[in-house]
Amino acid sequence: MKKIFYSFALLALVTFAHAQVERGNLLIKNGTVLTVTKGTFENTDVLVKDGKITQIGKNIAAPAGVKVIDATGQFVMPGIIDAHSHAGLDAINEATSPVTAEVFTGDVLNPFQVTLYRALGGGVTTIHAMHGSANAIGGQCETIKLRYGVKDGDGLRMEGAPRTIKFALGENPTRVHGGGSSIVPRTRMGVEFVIRESFSKAKEYMEAWDKYNKAKTQKGFRGTPPAYNLRLETLAEILKGNIIIHCHSYRADEINMLLNVCKDFGVKRLVFQHVNEGFKVAPELAKFGAMASVFADWWAYKFEVYYSTAYNAAILTRNGVVTSINSDDAELMRHLYHEAAKTQKYGNLSDDEALALITLNPAKQLGIDARVGSLEVGKEADIAIFNSHPLSSYTIPMITVVDGVVRFDREKDADDVRIYVDPTQAVDIATIQGGEQEDHCMDGAEDAFGKLFGLN
Amino acid sequence: MKSIYLKHLFTAMVLVLGLGMPTLLRAQEERTLGPVSGTYAITNVTVIQAPGRKLDMGTVVIKNGIITAVGKGIAVPPEAIVIKGDSLFVYAGFIDGLSRTGVIKPKEETKEKVKDPGNPPPDRAGITPQNDVRNFLSPTDKTVEDLRALGFTTAQVVPYGGMLPGNAAVVSLGGKSADEMVLASKTALYSEFTTAERIYPATVLGVMAKYRELYRQAAQAKSYESLYASNRTGLERPSPDRILEAFYPVIDKREPVLFKAEKILDVQRAITLQTDLGFSLVAANVKEGWDVLPKIKSGNVKVFLSLDLPEEKKDEKKDDKKDVKKEEKAKPDPEKDKLEKRKAEFVTLYAAQPTAFQKAGVPFGFSTLTAKTKDIPANLRRMIKEGLTEDQALAALTINAAQILGMSDRLGSIDNGKIANLVITRKPYFNEKAQVRYVFVDGVVYKYEPKEEKKADAKKIDVSGTWSYSIETPQGANTGKLKLKKQGDNYSGTITSQYADKEVELKTVSLDNNQLTYSYSLQVEGSTVNVDAAVTVDVDTFEGSVTTAQYGSFPTKGTKDPNR
Repeated sequence: MKKIFYSFALLALVTFAHAQVERGNLLIKNGTVLTVTKGTFENTDVLVKDGKITQIGKNIAAPAGVKVIDATGQFVMPGIIDAHSHAGLDAINEATSPVTAEVFTGDVLNPFQVTLYRALGGGVTTIHAMHGSANAIGGQCETIKLRYGVKDGDGLRMEGAPRTIKFALGENPTRVHGGGSSIVPRTRMGVEFVIRESFSKAKEYMEAWDKYNKAKTQKGFRGTPPAYNLRLETLAEILKGNIIIHCHSYRADEINMLLNVCKDFGVKRLVFQHVNEGFKVAPELAKFGAMASVFADWWAYKFEVYYSTAYNAAILTRNGVVTSINSDDAELMRHLYHEAAKTQKYGNLSDDEALALITLNPAKQLGIDARVGSLEVGKEADIAIFNSHPLSSYTIPMITVVDGVVRFDREKDADDVRIYVDPTQAVDIATIQGGEQEDHCMDGAEDAFGKLFGLN
Repeated sequence: MKSIYLKHLFTAMVLVLGLGMPTLLRAQEERTLGPVSGTYAITNVTVIQAPGRKLDMGTVVIKNGIITAVGKGIAVPPEAIVIKGDSLFVYAGFIDGLSRTGVIKPKEETKEKVKDPGNPPPDRAGITPQNDVRNFLSPTDKTVEDLRALGFTTAQVVPYGGMLPGNAAVVSLGGKSADEMVLASKTALYSEFTTAERIYPATVLGVMAKYRELYRQAAQAKSYESLYASNRTGLERPSPDRILEAFYPVIDKREPVLFKAEKILDVQRAITLQTDLGFSLVAANVKEGWDVLPKIKSGNVKVFLSLDLPEEKKDEKKDDKKDVKKEEKAKPDPEKDKLEKRKAEFVTLYAAQPTAFQKAGVPFGFSTLTAKTKDIPANLRRMIKEGLTEDQALAALTINAAQILGMSDRLGSIDNGKIANLVITRKPYFNEKAQVRYVFVDGVVYKYEPKEEKKADAKKIDVSGTWSYSIETPQGANTGKLKLKKQGDNYSGTITSQYADKEVELKTVSLDNNQLTYSYSLQVEGSTVNVDAAVTVDVDTFEGSVTTAQYGSFPTKGTKDPNR
């Protein structure tokens, strides 16, 4: 009886904790359902109950009061996941120190950015809102769902998603800190040193606390605890395997370097971001179990990004590396389905393989593949509906669903979707910003340092 | 001859004595002389003791900075300086929940470049929680005078700085020295999401992380210190750290964290830190809090809403240039119109914020941190227009603010024993035409001359000549002649009355802009009746009231006789 009470209390608690998130009921009728993991089914329905997929099959009767979407002639796929984005954040780079493991993009979520709605308009439902690449060890990142319309950053969080952290190798950290502030790292050697030193300190810190906590249990113990340090606390969590590293990287040599560093410190959860020379070290990545999140065909925006190929994603995939295609950019994020389709021209990936690059695989890289990334009974109802096959050049995203709630509907796309309006700002007709050809990993850092020191 | 001389001497003495009170008031204003008495009585005044507690024709007596009597028919102590409050309203002095009123900004020094921007000295990073605003106070700062002139008598003030500028204090907007201003010190640990420039923390990311780290380090240091204090033998000596020590009273919940949280995301971030660390939170200068109300409520967050409002779009109808209007009409821009409409909706939401808090049952005070002082009364009226009642606005300015500050035993209402902070106005405060006439701060009076209403060029007004006046009394109109003579910049004169068989010398006459005041004495049924008149002059007519202690106050009117 007591047990029942406790489990009931626990259930109530869980329900309460999740009460903020809106979860919907839906029946999507008669579409071509691209499950990504279990095949493709024509004229099939998807039933969503309380934000989760409860049934996929033919001729499902609509439960009373459930909203029905007629997807006849349309394509229903899992919501797109972007493993590398900086959208929805008020700050990206705490670019003042080569190591800032203690900072967390989850602290600076901005649910009002229209960018989030625009991404929904491209079928995206989940993004990895990352710290920038100014620091060798940057901040922790937050995995968010695009529940555009919520007014609280907490409402975006994907509760229970694993912790992740941004690392960065190569030109960015060496330029900002070595070039900008004349401190380590000035070179790629320096970057390795910074990471090794940080891990070593974290190990010592962890051991000091373990020792202290153990001693504390002895009767009559009197002693001084190690000084609390949030940076080392966080780094220690990486060593314990509780935080996934997502490392900004381009060159094969530096990728190898980080694999070695992680081996030395027993770190196993590692995803490389950009990883343009990943094709050179694909077997090594696969052997380690490291994953890769790449651009489809974007390069040459700085010296270390010249040696690149559009076959990167396909080569990595064929070598058994869990690979995703990311955007790192608010505009590119709106057509990741095009980016995925490019791997069919450059590498002949199958439909499911290509779609997995923007659904299941990024979900694996973020540690959320048990919940999202494919259309399966029991998974969360993050769904994108396209008017033709999503890998077609002519496809148009029609409806995007997050947790069973329609967050984008092309038919009801309002002119002004801003949630909050600045009442002090002059009204000017909105203009679309030009898309500069560079990654956004250095946002915030470039302003502070690049311009200041003329190193842009 | 001798008797005439004596009579003049007597008149002169009466004049001197009669002028005594205003002179003292003026002296106070210039702060060259102290008052003769620390006792004041405001008589015949409409007393708003607290929201919903109104007393007509009441008296408020204050003694040495404390309110000693409030009510009707209260005896005026003989030593009291009397302020005749007929047609005036008295409120408890207003309280500002967060500002830098009277706080001196330290001079910007040219600082040398920090060598390692990731590891700057704490003061450069904006981390100075050990600072105390008392070290930066100046009672003569113009901001004190400006805010006081609006009826504010008390403010919670904070030092300048970065993410942790230092300790707040609750101060009186008066006093001769910094210490004399202070009512309560270390009232809150003031915090902002302000970043350091190009050094850590350069972003909100860094501020949030640094805040957590400092707080937890402080908690650790504190518990180690108490362990050490309990038995020092064999333990490493704790190293004192003033930055961490500043958090100790916060950790003990003896002091709240006062967070400047203007935008909705600031409020949410402050609550995130509160949830993580467990301190008592006062969110201040809140401008966009209405959508965070559930969290504010469940987190028991105290709030000071900003008195700063975004500007309303000016009404185009006032534009005389009709040609421009026509041209605009010729080019309709529906997209721009829609954007303007949405902007206007948000301007309204800002003004309606206090109403939203009121409806949600969350008590709030106000803060003036970023408000332009001159806009504050108009902004209050905009809030009232959006649904806040005058009583609710008054509560936010007085009793609610006092409660949030934990000082409602001393501040926030006109009750016996409270600090003599009062604001006395002509017309109720929230009336557009209201004018602050007196402000008492800690029992010290500041007088404000009535502002001229509309046109009538003050300097050109010359009231000398003969006026026919009438006073409306329940027994009918009393009429007579008022003769005024100009002598340099001053006036003197005589008056006739049905109650006097000959002309009576005026005891006082003064003209300030278009406000004419004069006083005289009459012998009525064997007792002396002192009459005070205050009228507004419009070229050759005046209107106003006369007041007597015995019979109350009556309306009066006058017209100037044509020059012969």
